[in-house]
Amino acid sequence: MNRTELIQGNEACALAAVAAGCRFFGGYPITPSTGIAEQMVRLLPDAGGVFVQMEDEIASMAAVIGASLAGSKAMTATSGPGFSLMQEHIGYAVMAEVPCVIVNVMRGGPSTGRPTAPSQGDVMQARWGTHGDHPAVVLAPSSVGEVYELTVRAFNLAERFRTPVIVLYDEIIGHTRESVVLPGSVDVVDRIKPDVEPEQFWPKAPAANGVPPMPAFGDGYRFHVTGLTHDQRGFPTEDSALTGALMTRLNNKVDDHVDEIVQVERFMLDDADVAIFAYGIVGRSAREAVQRARTMGIKAGMIRPLTLWPFPDVQVAAVAEQVDAMIVAEMNLGQLIGEVQRASGGRTEIVGHLRADGEPITPSQLLTELTDRNEAAR
Amino acid sequence: MTDVKSYLREWAMPHVLCPGCAHGIVLRSFLVAVDDLQLDQNKVALVAGIGCSSRLVGYADFCTLHGTHGRAPAFATGLKLARPELSVVVVTGDGDGLAIGGNHLIHAARRNIDITVILLNNSIYGMTGGQVAPTTPPGAFASTAPGGNTEASFDACKLLIGAGASFVARVLAATPIEMTKLMADGMSHRGFSFIEVISDCPEYFGRYNKAGGGAAMLTGLTLRDEGVAVPLASKRFVNHVPSSAPPPGITTGVLHREDRPVFVGVRKAVDDES
Amino acid sequence: MSDNTSGLVLAGVGGQGVVMASMIVADALVRAGHDVKQSEVHGMAQRGGSVFSHIRWGPQVDSPLVPVGTASVLASFEWAEAIRWVPYVRVGGVVIADVRTIVPPGACADRRSWTTRYPEIDPSLLLDRRLKARLIDAAATATALGNVRAANSVILGSVAAFVDVEQSHWEASIERLVPRGTVDVNLAAFRAGLEVAEAPTPAPAPEHRGFSGPHQIDIRQEWCKGCDICSRVCPEYCLEVGSDASLNVSNPDACTGCRLCELLCPDFAISISAPRQTAHVGAFNEPGEIEDESD
Repeated sequence: MNRTELIQGNEACALAAVAAGCRFFGGYPITPSTGIAEQMVRLLPDAGGVFVQMEDEIASMAAVIGASLAGSKAMTATSGPGFSLMQEHIGYAVMAEVPCVIVNVMRGGPSTGRPTAPSQGDVMQARWGTHGDHPAVVLAPSSVGEVYELTVRAFNLAERFRTPVIVLYDEIIGHTRESVVLPGSVDVVDRIKPDVEPEQFWPKAPAANGVPPMPAFGDGYRFHVTGLTHDQRGFPTEDSALTGALMTRLNNKVDDHVDEIVQVERFMLDDADVAIFAYGIVGRSAREAVQRARTMGIKAGMIRPLTLWPFPDVQVAAVAEQVDAMIVAEMNLGQLIGEVQRASGGRTEIVGHLRADGEPITPSQLLTELTDRNEAAR
Repeated sequence: MTDVKSYLREWAMPHVLCPGCAHGIVLRSFLVAVDDLQLDQNKVALVAGIGCSSRLVGYADFCTLHGTHGRAPAFATGLKLARPELSVVVVTGDGDGLAIGGNHLIHAARRNIDITVILLNNSIYGMTGGQVAPTTPPGAFASTAPGGNTEASFDACKLLIGAGASFVARVLAATPIEMTKLMADGMSHRGFSFIEVISDCPEYFGRYNKAGGGAAMLTGLTLRDEGVAVPLASKRFVNHVPSSAPPPGITTGVLHREDRPVFVGVRKAVDDES
Repeated sequence: MSDNTSGLVLAGVGGQGVVMASMIVADALVRAGHDVKQSEVHGMAQRGGSVFSHIRWGPQVDSPLVPVGTASVLASFEWAEAIRWVPYVRVGGVVIADVRTIVPPGACADRRSWTTRYPEIDPSLLLDRRLKARLIDAAATATALGNVRAANSVILGSVAAFVDVEQSHWEASIERLVPRGTVDVNLAAFRAGLEVAEAPTPAPAPEHRGFSGPHQIDIRQEWCKGCDICSRVCPEYCLEVGSDASLNVSNPDACTGCRLCELLCPDFAISISAPRQTAHVGAFNEPGEIEDESD
C-alpha cells in the first residue's frame, strides 16, 4: 500500500534500493552521500541483506562486485573523491558484466573541493571516468521522489543489461526533505539465469538481447570471471576478432536499447521558441523560470533528461529544430553543453548558463537569461 | 586420491607461467588440499588480483574471479558476505597483496572474515618484468633497483599477525606435502587464515640475482647448496623441513593461531551454527 | 615503400634474442652509412608471446614499419613465426627460418582433444613460394659452438649473407652490443650463420615420447616447459631434460614411485602411477601388491 513520508533524498535512495531488491551494500563514509549508508545499515538486516563498511571506496566497489557475483543485488554510494576511486572497478563491472548500482551524490570538486556544496561536476566522469571504451548508463533525478523512482530503475536496468548503472544527483537533493509517496511495491527486474546444463554453459555467450545469462557463484555453474578481454567461454583472449566482438557487444547492449533507456521530461515545449536544457536540481529552477517567463508572455520551455547517458540525442535534436535558442544550465563549467551542441547540429543557438561556485542556479537567474533572450530577439 | 587434474580446466592448460616458476606447484598443492577436505567443487570460489600468482585461478575448475590489482580481499569480502556457504580463497602475490593491496589485506585480517588468503611470495614483480617489490630483500637486484634494493622489506606473516589474522602460516613452494597440509588447516580454520608460500621467480629474480633456474632456486630454499642432485640429499628434499625444524632464515609452519569472533557483516542475527 | 629503401623483419618469441639481434642489425646498418629506423613489439613475451622487429634503411627513411610484401629479408627465430610473417616478404626476397618449434601456451586450438594449431614443419610452406628460403637450425649450430644462447647470432650471420654491409661493421656491432664475455661465441656463431645461409639443413620431425615401466611415468609433453625441476629432484636420475628442452624418461626402471617429480612439477606435466597389471609389469610384481599400491 502506498504511504506518504517526509524523507531526504539519501533516505529515498536507500528505501528504493531495498524495494528494488538490493541485499548488499558496501560503502565508505563520505559527505554528502553518507546518509545512504546510514540508512542501508538499518534497512538491510530486516530485509535479509548484509551491510559492510569497507576500508575505502576501491574496496567498496570491489565488495559490491563480489556480492553481485554471489547473486545479490548490490549497491554502493559515494561522492566526488570516492567516485574517482571507484572508477577502475566500474570499468571492471562493465567488462565482467556485473550488475550493480553506484550512487554519486555530487559535491564541489576537483579534489576535496567543497564537500558540503552542491555541484554537477561529475557528469563527464560518470561517462568517461574509467579507462577504455565502455557503455555508460547514468540517471539524474531532480527531486526526492525521483531519487526513489530512478534508484529502482537503476537496479532494473543494471540487472537487465548486466552493467553498472550510476545514479547521479547533487548534495541539495541528497539532503532535501520532501514528502514522497512511497509505493507499496515496485516492478522489479532480475538477471536472467542460464537454462542450460553446467557442462554446456559458457558464461559470456549472449542471449538474443546481447546479454549473457548469469548464474551466481555457488549455483553449480563453475566459471571464470576476468577483467581481461575474454571469449565467450569467459577466458582471456588476445584474438583481435574476439576482442572486437566483445567490445561491440558490451557497447551495443546499451546502444541498441537507447530508446528504452533514455527518459526525458518535456515541459511546456510544444509551442516554445526558447528552451532551457537542465537536469538534476537545476531542472527545478528551470521549471520555475519557464513558468514565470510564460506569465510574461515568453514562449519558454524546458527539456530535462532523466538519463544523462546514453545522451538523449534524438530528443535534444527535436527541440533544437524547433527553438531559436537553447539555454544549457549546468552547475559546472560546461560538461553536457558540448553534447547539446553536438546533438543540435547547429540548428539552434546554444547559450551556456554555467557556474561552479558551490551555489545552485536560481530560477531568477534563468528567468533573466530568458528575458534577455526575448529582448534580444525583438 | 583423486587425480588433481580433475580440478583443472584442462582445456585452458598449459598455464602462462614461465618454466621453473613454482607457482604451479602451489596450485597443485592447493588442489590436493581441496580434495583432502572433500570440499564441494561448486562451493569453492577462488578470488585473485593481478600478477603471475593471480593467473593461477583461471586454471582451477571452481568459481573463479580474476579481479583487479590488489583488490582480491575486497572482492572476496563481498562474495563471502553475500554467500557465506562458499569456501572463499584468495590467491595473491607479494606485490598484489602487500603493495597495492596491502590495505585490503590487513583490513580483511582485522575483520577476521572467514576466508583464506594464499600469498605467493617470489620477492619480485614477475608479470611486469622484474620490478622491485615490497618483499625484495635489501640489496637484491630488480629492474627498478639496478643498483640493489635500498628499501626494507615486509615480513608478510608478522604484518598479518599484527593486523589480526587468526591463522598465519608460512611454507616453501619446494615442500608440497607440507604446503597441502597447511592449506587444508587454513581452510578448515574458522576466521581469516593467511598462508605465505615462499615461491620463486627464476625468470627475473633468479636472473637478476644469479640465483639460478627454478630447480636451483627451490632447492636453495631448502638446502643451502645444490646438493639435491645427490640422491640422498634429494630424498631429504621434502622431508627435512618439518615445521619444528625449519631451515635457517625461513621460519615455516603455523606461526599464529587463535580463536576469535568471525566477521559476518551487519546482518540479522541468525541462530548460531547448529 | 619508396624504391631506395630496404626492409627487414625479425620475428621470434620471447627470450630468443630478437630485440638484441635487431639492435645489432640496426647498429651495423648505421655503421654502413644508412639512415635506419627500427621498431619492435614485445611485451609479456617472456611467457611465450611473439616478438618482432621491423628495420628499414636507405638514404632516407621516414617510417620504421615495413609494409606487407616489401621486406627484402625475413629472419624468423622460430618456425611458426616464419609462417606468420612470410607475407611481409617481397617476391624474390629472402626468408631465413629456424626450424625449431616453440609451442606457445596460446597455440592450443582445442585443449579438450589436445590438438594444437601449431603449423606442421612443412618446408614447402616456404620453399614453394617465389622467394629464397633458408631453413636453419640455429640452436644446434650455437650449441655446437658452446652456447645455445648465441643462436640469435647464427641467424644474424645468415641475415648478413643477404644484407649488403661489410662484415667488419657487423662484427663491430656484435662486439658493442652483446653481453661482455659472450663476444667470442657470438662472433663465432655469426660466422657460422653466414656459412649456414649457404647450406640449409632439413627440418627435424617432431617426436612424441612416453613410457610404461614398473611405475608408469606419464609425461604430458604439451604441458611441459622444460624447466629442470623434476630431473634435479629425482633421487634416481630417471628424468632428463634434453637440449631441446623436452623431458625424457632416461632411466625408467629406476623409478621408485616417490612422486617428487609429480608433486614439484609446476606444469602438471608428470603423472606417476602405480604399476599396471600388464604382462610386462606382472613379471615384477605380485597382483596383491599392485592393488595395494593403486589405492
